[in-house]
Parts: sequence; C-alpha cells; structure tokens
Amino acid sequence: MSATTATRPAARRTDPLLRARRIAGRTGLYAAGLAVFAFSVFPVYWMIATAFKPGGELFAREPTLLPRNPTLDNFDQVVNGNVIPGVDFWQFLVNSLTVTLGSVAVGAVLALLAAIAVARFRFRLRTTLIVTLMVVQMVPVEALIISIFINFRQIQEGTGVELLGTLTGLVLAYSAVSLPITIMMLRGFVAAVPKELEEAAAIDGAGHWTVFWRILMPLVAPGLVAASIFAFITAWNEFIIALTFLGRSSETYTLPLTLSYYFGRYGTDWGSIMAASSLLTVPVMIFFLFVQRRMVSGLTMGAVKG
Amino acid sequence: MSAATGTAPAPRARAAERAQGWALRAPLLPALVFTVVVTQLPFLVTVFYSLQSWNLLRPGSRTFVGPANYLAVFTDAQFLGAASNTVLFTAACVLVSMALGVGLAMLLDRRFPGRGVVRTLLITPFLIIPVATALLWKTTMFDPVFGLVGFVLTPFGLGDVDWVSQYPLVSVVTAMVWQWTPFMMLLVLAGLQSQGRDVIEAGQVDGASRWQMFVGITLPHLRRYIELGVLLGSIYVVNTFDTIYMMTQGGPGTASANLPFYIYQRTFLGFDIGQSAAMGVVVVVGTIIVATLALRLIFRSFMSAQEGIS
Repeated sequence: MSATTATRPAARRTDPLLRARRIAGRTGLYAAGLAVFAFSVFPVYWMIATAFKPGGELFAREPTLLPRNPTLDNFDQVVNGNVIPGVDFWQFLVNSLTVTLGSVAVGAVLALLAAIAVARFRFRLRTTLIVTLMVVQMVPVEALIISIFINFRQIQEGTGVELLGTLTGLVLAYSAVSLPITIMMLRGFVAAVPKELEEAAAIDGAGHWTVFWRILMPLVAPGLVAASIFAFITAWNEFIIALTFLGRSSETYTLPLTLSYYFGRYGTDWGSIMAASSLLTVPVMIFFLFVQRRMVSGLTMGAVKG
Repeated sequence: MSAATGTAPAPRARAAERAQGWALRAPLLPALVFTVVVTQLPFLVTVFYSLQSWNLLRPGSRTFVGPANYLAVFTDAQFLGAASNTVLFTAACVLVSMALGVGLAMLLDRRFPGRGVVRTLLITPFLIIPVATALLWKTTMFDPVFGLVGFVLTPFGLGDVDWVSQYPLVSVVTAMVWQWTPFMMLLVLAGLQSQGRDVIEAGQVDGASRWQMFVGITLPHLRRYIELGVLLGSIYVVNTFDTIYMMTQGGPGTASANLPFYIYQRTFLGFDIGQSAAMGVVVVVGTIIVATLALRLIFRSFMSAQEGIS
C-alpha cells in the first residue's frame, strides 16, 4: 500500500486540477452537511415558533419565519383548556411523572441486582439467561403486551388487584419493558469493576454492604445513571401500553396519550398542538442535554465492550 | 488473601466460602426471579397463546389448535402487506439515518467554532416525544395547503402534493429518519472519538486518500458502533407504533400499516388473541433474522472494500 501511494501526496499538492476538485468536493460536502443540519434542526424550531403564533398567522400562504405577534394563548389553551373534560392538565403531568419515576426506580434497583448476579456469579443457566435477555430485548412490545394485558386481566379478576387502568400496572409494565436492556447495559459496568478491588476491601475488613456501597456503587454509578436515563426516556415517551392498558380511565392518562387527544379534539388548531408538543418536550431536552454524554458512554460500554 | 485462606483447614474454609457465597447471592435472587418472570414469561405465554384459537369477544371459544394460527397468518394478505411495510420502513429508516448519522458525525468530529452548540441542536429531534414528532410532521410539515414542505417545494412544482395521503410510506419514513438520525450520530460520534489519532496520522504519512482512510481505517474501527446502531435502531424501528397511529392510522386503507399497528388492531379492536399472538411470535423471529442478515450484508460489502485496499 505504501509503495504504490507514496508519490501521491506530492502529486496532489502540485496538480491544480486535483486541488480544484478537492475544493469542489469539500464545498459539496459542507453544503450537504448544511442541508442535513437544516433537515434535522429546522422542524424543531418550527414546532416552537408555531406554538407562539396566533391563529391568523398559522394559516398563511406565506409562512413567516418568526411569529409576527408572538402570543402565549396557545400555551394557555393547553394548560387551562381541559382537553379531556373533568381532568386537569397538571393531573396528566403528575401521572406521567409518577409512572416514569416509579418505573425508573423499580427498574434501577432490579436491573442493578440482576446485573450483579449475571456479571459476578456463576450459576447454572447463566449463559442461557444472558442470551434470552438479549433475545427478549428484540421482542416487539406488541408481542409482550398481549400476554401482559391478559395476565393483568386475569390477576384483576382473580384477586381484585386493579392493574389495568391504573398507574401501578403501568409502572410494572414499563419496568418489565426496559429491564432487559438496562441489565445488559449495567452488566458491562459491573464486569468492568476488578474483582481484586472487592477482595482487597474484604481483606481490609469491609463487610459486604461496605464493599457494595463503597467499591461497587461508585464505579457502577455512571452506568446506573445511563440506564436510568434510558428507562426515563422510554417511559416518558411510551404510548401503546398507555393507550391499551389505561382504556377509558382518563384520570390516569399520561402526557403522550393526552397529546393524541389534542389532535383528536383540536385537529386544526396547530398552535395548541405545537404548544403542547413543545411543553412536553422542552423539559426532557434540557434534562437530556445535561446528561447526554453519560447516556452514550453507558450504551456503548454495556454493549460494545461488554 | 492467600495468607488468610492458606492457614485455615481446607474443608472448613470451603464450607464457609460456600455459605458466604450464598449470603451474597440470596439478596440478588428475588431481583433475578422477578426479571425472569416479567421479561421471559410473557414471551413464552405469547407462544402458548399463539397455539390456541381464542377470541375475547367469544367467551368459552378457547381451544388448542396447534399451528393453525400460523398458517392463517401467513395466508393473510393484510399481514403480508404489513410485514413488507415493516421491512421497508425499517430498512429505509435505519440505512438512511445511519448514512446521515455517519456523515454528521464525521463533520462534528472536526474542530470548528460553535461545535458544541451544533451538536446539541442536532440531538434535539431525538428528544421530542414520538407522538409529538408524528403530529409535527403530519400538520405543520406535510399539510397539503399550509405545510412547510409544500411551501419549500413549490418552486420545484411539488407544492400541492398531499404527502401523507398520497405518499404515506415516504412521509412516515421521513419522520422516522428525522427522529433516528441523531441517535445514530451520537453512537458513531462516540466511536470516532475513541479512535486513536496515531492510526490516522500513520495513514496520512503513508499517503492514503481521505476515502481510503475512511474505508480502510475509520469504518473498520466504527464497525461495532455501527452494528450496535443498526441493531438497536432496527429493534426500535420495527416496533414503531405511535408514528403510524398518529400520522396515518395505517391508511389510506391499509397502505401504511406496519406489523405493530396491525397486531394492535387485531388484539385490541378485534380481540383475536390467538392470531395476534402468532403474529407477535412471527415478528420476533423475523426481527432477529432481519437484524442479523442486515448486519452481515452491510459489513460484508465494507469488509471486502477494505480488503481490496490493503
């Protein structure tokens, strides 16, 4: 390779035609980059801009880049408009937060313990378990919710514990959905902690809890954060389970479900729809921007190096 | 450690070690059992349901029918249509968003003023709730009269196209590519930044062209990151439900229904548990096969290109 191409850099520097082609190529590359950038970013801007536009400006033949008379009416409509009669907007927010944080907490504890078990201890069927976890990760939610839905129904009929149409059922279902991937993410982190470190601490007289809290936890914490963010986003965005499990109990609806009602009720009022979309999205955006690096390192560490 | 165990009599130490091992494992057991119950069992139960004829609307209709549901599924034209839509959505979305993601990541890997801000802005589509993404594209973007896409494309004579109803597949794929590009970009960027500078410098010293460097050095290094992106992307895109539900409702007719949407219709509007479960199982097997094949295919072509150079 070096023998055949060794003369090329010199040639490239002198040949004006090649240089022109390179400049043209680079310009093309940057133009393409700019186009993709616009494709990615502009719709987000447009969503937020539309949210501030009053009714008249929404449906103009010549759309304006900035709202001419920015207004908060659309947001007011979202918060005070009672899209589903009898239920406050804040109730939906509380529902979403309850379900999301609940499933993140349940999921984090279970995933951590299961990941330690899978990464640290040899037991019969360990490999089988790891493989099936990976396979389950690929199982479409639609295939799982049929049986979860039926099982919840049967539990409800058998024991009277309400799982459909309640937030408890949703927390359980969401934890189950994100567990396989969070366990796989955490497994890499637990496996990366040198066993000798724990043994050394044990020799120094540390009990199991001390080893767990002082040695393992600080090293696994970044992975736990990454897994939690992942579970958070999954639960916050989740739609089909909420749609099918909550049924008609509108007082338990989560925000994505509420958003779909906005479209049903105010289909032509883009201002409100975009205001609602912005309102649900911007907090997640701000939160994620603080933690994004951890999430990517968590994803790649668990899966690429695991 | 060896000093501590060396002095103790062997059998007693082993017994103590075993007891200690169990003391360590016991607290983990419930978590493991719960995980197995909630993640593995539903799938097995789904397989079990798929062998039965069972409609919730007809109580007492539940009977064991063996593989009949699978036969019915594979001769169901709507299912086959939804399956081919799913493959199309997934392949188009994953490949296009990965290509765009690699491109953006390569650009972001260079130093330029405002890089952090650009990077942050580029991630935002991934953070929008999928339901909101679907609404954004359906209304303000693709609306035939007041949509931005029509406005931008008017000079090209495409101003009056009703994208969502005339080209539902293109519309849905566009929205999904938009949503998934940042995810691919983030993964590839993580891969690029873990690449050693010395390898690149060595390549430059050897006089490799940009393209040769990309195919010969960068791409093989990115392989595991791209694989991961394709794999996770496929898994999630195959499962896309909210975008279809909000944008097209699977329509017009069943033109843009994918498998999750069709399964949803059959389960929760038709209450046909047996056949829906069979479809779910088929989707699982299909996802695994397609994801594995896609990975092989992509990398065989790249790897042969690499061998051609070196």
